Amino acid sequence: MPTSPSATRLSLFTLTAPVAMGYVPLGMVFGFLFVQAGASWFMALLTSLVVYAGAAQYMMIPMIASGMPVGAIALATLLINMRHMFYGLSLLDTFPRSPLLRWYTAFALTDETYSVLTALPRDTPPRHMALLALLNQLWWLLGTLLGAAIGTQARIPLDGLDFVLCALFAVLTVEQWRSRHSPLPLWTAIGAYALAATLVPAHALVLAILLSLLVGLVTYKKKGG
Amino acid sequence: MNTLYLLAVIVAMGAITFGLRALPFLSAHWLRKSPITRHLGRFLPLAVMSLLLVHSASGAAREHATGPWPELLAIALICVLQWRSRNALLSIVAGTAVYVLLRNWH
Repeated sequence: MPTSPSATRLSLFTLTAPVAMGYVPLGMVFGFLFVQAGASWFMALLTSLVVYAGAAQYMMIPMIASGMPVGAIALATLLINMRHMFYGLSLLDTFPRSPLLRWYTAFALTDETYSVLTALPRDTPPRHMALLALLNQLWWLLGTLLGAAIGTQARIPLDGLDFVLCALFAVLTVEQWRSRHSPLPLWTAIGAYALAATLVPAHALVLAILLSLLVGLVTYKKKGG
Repeated sequence: MNTLYLLAVIVAMGAITFGLRALPFLSAHWLRKSPITRHLGRFLPLAVMSLLLVHSASGAAREHATGPWPELLAIALICVLQWRSRNALLSIVAGTAVYVLLRNWH
């Protein structure tokens, strides 16, 4: 299907623009909070380059600030990003074949990139999928850089501004709820945290994560087929 | 902040995240046949996200002697806004603004 190069570029940009609307500001929030927590802008950029996972990146900020062990952070990352396991499943046949493009596109499968890729028409050249994924990450990196730059310059002395992170978690929780109207995980979290905070207040978060994992495993009911 | 520690965290998180995303390209067969991972993939993100919310909110509340009402109010506002508008930026900015106002008012 003959498409002029400029028409293709335009349509790719149209697809990546809405992602940019989200990724630039949210990347800025990450970059800003990351450096405010005491890390360098370079590390912020590295994180957005190597990890490239919004929820996990926000989650890591209070964890590194409190010096949580690497293993605990790794476990939390595993649990929070588990859903990404399934993204590639529905895109297997459409993915680029060349190893570099294939692995990069797999690497870049964030929630937003996944939604954009699944919305593409069937005859989209695989190269374009990789390009789209790259553009999305570039927006994220740009936001991170801007936010980190501001964060290293500005120290805003308003009490409670770091509530932004809590606000972000609230937003992400609502969005998780929107896709899964399941009360069990919610009650598990509240119960697990209450229990963990009572038993071992200094390590409440990690203990609660482990308890939630346990509940998740125990509540699995084998359905026929 | 300790650079080595931070590097270790970033590498670990990156490896795990990439590993998860790459799994279908390595073993789609196993993945399709493992319903428990599907169940966990549905259960855990909401559970962990709620945990992070509760943890950060209670941390914020503990830093102030005047009770958790600003936290609860701001979070309630954020949830309602996000549910209706689907606009993350709006919810975060409005909720944080309300919170900062409430905390700085006295």
